[in-house]
Amino acid sequence: MNTIVYILLAAGLIFFGGTTLAAFYWAAKTGQFRNLEDGSKTIFDEDEPVGTATDAFADKQADRPLRRGAVSIRS
Amino acid sequence: MSATLTEAHPSTVTPEMEKAHRALIDESTRLPVVLFYASAVFWLLVGTVFALLASFKMNAPTLLDQWGWMTFGRVRPAHLNAVAYGWAASAGIGTGLWLMARLCRTPLRHSKLLIGAAIFWNIGLLLGTLGILSGDGRSIEWLEFPNYASFMLFVAFGLIAVWAIIMFRFREPGHVYVSQWYLLAAFLWFPWLYSTANLLLNFEPIQGGAQGAVNWWYGHNALGLWFTPLGLATAYYLIPKVLGRPIHSYYLSILGFWSLALFYSWNGMHHLIGGPFPAWLISASVVASVMMFIPVITTAINHHMTVRGNFHALKWSPTLRFTVFGAMCYTLASVQGSFMAIPSLNIITHFTHYTVGHAHLGLYAFFTMIMFGAMYYILPRVVGWEWPSARLIRWHFWLVAIGIGMMVVVLTIGGILQGLALLDPNITFMATLDYTKPWLFLRSVSGVLLTAGHIVFAVSFTLLLLKVGSLRTAPTLFGSDQGRQPEPLNV
Repeated sequence: MNTIVYILLAAGLIFFGGTTLAAFYWAAKTGQFRNLEDGSKTIFDEDEPVGTATDAFADKQADRPLRRGAVSIRS
Repeated sequence: MSATLTEAHPSTVTPEMEKAHRALIDESTRLPVVLFYASAVFWLLVGTVFALLASFKMNAPTLLDQWGWMTFGRVRPAHLNAVAYGWAASAGIGTGLWLMARLCRTPLRHSKLLIGAAIFWNIGLLLGTLGILSGDGRSIEWLEFPNYASFMLFVAFGLIAVWAIIMFRFREPGHVYVSQWYLLAAFLWFPWLYSTANLLLNFEPIQGGAQGAVNWWYGHNALGLWFTPLGLATAYYLIPKVLGRPIHSYYLSILGFWSLALFYSWNGMHHLIGGPFPAWLISASVVASVMMFIPVITTAINHHMTVRGNFHALKWSPTLRFTVFGAMCYTLASVQGSFMAIPSLNIITHFTHYTVGHAHLGLYAFFTMIMFGAMYYILPRVVGWEWPSARLIRWHFWLVAIGIGMMVVVLTIGGILQGLALLDPNITFMATLDYTKPWLFLRSVSGVLLTAGHIVFAVSFTLLLLKVGSLRTAPTLFGSDQGRQPEPLNV
């Protein structure tokens, strides 16, 4: 068992433990833990709003498969 | 000037634009997702063949033992690795890629990284499986692949982790949904777990009993910090999305994620109760295993309360039926696992088929069922073609649901009988095996049901990819071929 492996493991431990703590800190600081009710609705939009079941197939997509970059939305 | 959806002024965004944007995101994930899904289905079939063989050998030990590469000691690890890394991980990665793109609200970028990962992944699986069959396998559970194969898998994991960081970095601004926390955790932690365990056990092996500790630190974390987050991320997205109803308590879901992150990595040592290890190591692990009730119960409450009032939706939605089945089994498997860590119960279940039943409850009834549900939702959106037949999906569901239910029940009963017999000093070891025989036969029967289900699914999957039949504009829902309309949902 050589020293390099030990150093590698210790570095990994510190790095991954550290990033997890940093992620938690970042989440708290950027308000990820605030307005949780709004957060839960971020997976819905106007087209698939709350109240509409979506295990249905978007038929328009099938008629004409979209190419990457084919949609341009003017601002 | 073209711009992304979120750069447009909110008042100018129409539902049509959102639909087009979502379709664009789905379309961008096509090649990587289909690659990983197709590999998953291929390895599911390979793993199932090994599973059946290993199970039949329990009933007829001399079956095919004239060939060294078909003996139990090789077929069984070939099964485990083919289904765990070949099927479950590939399906989880495919689902995770699509979810990442949707949750980042941006088309998938750098798909070459992922295609490279898929190639390395499959070469690694092929080398590993052949390595195990040819006698090159390591006798370390969950890490049987020889070094030349595990290195390929590590490269694939590494590429995916780098991709996940890039995707997250360039996401559209806004809230980070709970599924994304789970996905990032899985994609970033697993390469570390995998490389550390391989380094300490296969490349620069540490000595003696410490190998056992590293082995189960890895073995349990592979389940809890890789498969569990992938499965839960999927359930936390699909259940609300299919029902059109936000998660019951978003607060609990966040609490669930961070408590999983805190407690899970301690759990592995409960596999070593009674072994030659420091008592504090085992005790800490038992305590952490019981603390797992927190993330598990928060998840159970959330999933149940989100579906409550809409259980009739299970009648028509294939995605929801598989996903809710999986989510319920997550609770069952986890609660069972916490109890199995309690030493007075562990003394009965340890080294018996009970543990095998528990493993299948977790990795099949929970994880695999959620992955089937995810594939039923994702593939039509990605490929632009519907599933060929509701009847095939229905057959698939009932074959695997009955199959896995039966397997878990018979292994649980057989395992308890075996455990009690092993503890009885008046019963010889050979006699304890007799207690398991009828249950092992029934296990093989359940294996045949699962195999039939997998063949049905593979046929359905292939027909969809080949776009057989005429283009349908309606979704393939249960009951739709009988002209029934889905009942309205309660929101």
